[in-house]
Amino acid sequence: MARIIKVSNLNYRYPDGTTGLKDVSFEVEEGETMVILGANGTGKSTLFMNLMGILDGDGHIEVMGLLLDKKNVKDVRRGMGMVFQNPDDQLFCPTVIDDVSFGPLNLGLEADQVIEASQKALTMVDLQGYESRTSYHLSFGEKKRAAIATILSMNPKILLLDEPTSGLDPRSISKFINILYTLKSQGKTLLIVTHDLFLTQEIADRVLVFSEEKRPVAIGNYKEILNNYDLLLKNNLVHQHRHRHETVVHEHEHRHGYIHEH
Amino acid sequence: MKLSTSLLEKLDPRTKIISFLSVILCMILTPITHIREFGLYFLLILAIGFCSKITPRQILKKVCILIPFVLFIAMFVPFVKEGNVCWSLKISNWKFDITYEGVWTFLNIIVKSTLSVFLLVIASSTTTFPDFLKGLDMLRIPRLLVMLMSFMYRYIFVLIDEAGRLMRARSLRYFGSGYKEQFRVIGYMIGVLFIRTFERAERIFNAMIIRGFSGEVISVKRFRFSYMDILFMAGIIVSLVCIVSGLINKIEYIGVSGAHLWQGL
Repeated sequence: MARIIKVSNLNYRYPDGTTGLKDVSFEVEEGETMVILGANGTGKSTLFMNLMGILDGDGHIEVMGLLLDKKNVKDVRRGMGMVFQNPDDQLFCPTVIDDVSFGPLNLGLEADQVIEASQKALTMVDLQGYESRTSYHLSFGEKKRAAIATILSMNPKILLLDEPTSGLDPRSISKFINILYTLKSQGKTLLIVTHDLFLTQEIADRVLVFSEEKRPVAIGNYKEILNNYDLLLKNNLVHQHRHRHETVVHEHEHRHGYIHEH
Repeated sequence: MKLSTSLLEKLDPRTKIISFLSVILCMILTPITHIREFGLYFLLILAIGFCSKITPRQILKKVCILIPFVLFIAMFVPFVKEGNVCWSLKISNWKFDITYEGVWTFLNIIVKSTLSVFLLVIASSTTTFPDFLKGLDMLRIPRLLVMLMSFMYRYIFVLIDEAGRLMRARSLRYFGSGYKEQFRVIGYMIGVLFIRTFERAERIFNAMIIRGFSGEVISVKRFRFSYMDILFMAGIIVSLVCIVSGLINKIEYIGVSGAHLWQGL
């Protein structure tokens, strides 16, 4: 597989002086799903902003063989889409179809191509018939799916998803994971920022763990990372919890899908 | 889900914007002394109302909400306008003069605004806001302006929700003491709301440039004029021409014989 994203020695400092990212280097292969795990405030979203060229950090970013700079940034954005955490920021048009067609229109497609691409995107996220609905009146789960459709309509090779499952109920999560599976099977490269271990276990090929020092501390196969309790515990991704079985009280790390003996 | 749509709902938003705007324009330019014309305008608006499926009750309800504002602004006019006094009101030492000119101006404001509001209510109940924006866009209203309006429409409720959440958070922790302190708190809340709005705007702009926005607004044209649009627009224009041309005769008539009837004009 070919390398599609390469980040080396990326540093970012916010205008107020706080560190956003510290010496970040990693590579992503084409077609793989990489989950970026990290607790709150570890710089995961800042990394996405840098990858999209919204924030301008020091370092070297290469996407689809293009060096990310002022000249190439538009071409990079053609092939790489990002879905924001808050769908209210992503859906800024009066109706759903306006939002979904916003990207393709800016890409310069013809009217009928735009409509076709938008319909296809809405079908993929199971929102057919929502075209003229007002975004404000959608449920949160529908908004999240509409938000991803706004990017899918541009048919990008790489998708960056910022906390795709946060704030969703279990059924919406499983619906969302289905969408991610479809994308994965279409050969899209997915980069997902989350602290949801369940999602990671479901979808990840490889996992990159961010520490609270705002830099990656581990990268590897998802099984390898998810079984490394010490790493997860140290980076605030699992926690010790105390619980009781009749008279026995004991402590262990809180994890899902983990069966233990007493 | 509506079972059937009325004629007005089926029309292209552009048709509605153009024809309603021309009715309002003609109406505003008609001198108030031509009462017969206003009767005709009223009939025309009534006819337009019949083309929609809104009940008169619904229309009146909305009109009644808007009219008090106009009334409030207009009610001082008869006292303020200078001219021939027709009636004086004395309250102890205060003397208020009502002038003919004032009364006419008052009527001018009230009649024209009421009729315009009627038309506006009919227009807004048969056109969704996104369609209206699309119509404006296709009528070559500057894109930036249309976009501003669409952002306003999209985010005003989000902002109201946010303000509501702030208010709720405050009232849950407010137990009635420190009345003056509350002004400071409200000041903070306005500040917080401003910062949140500002940051949201930044995030939205990011979401836009990620999807290839480069300052130029492009949109899909969805509407097409049908024969109904042409018929409707023709109907409106013909009626307007009839009313206005009748008006021309009337002006001459008043100029010759009726001028003394309208004192002060």
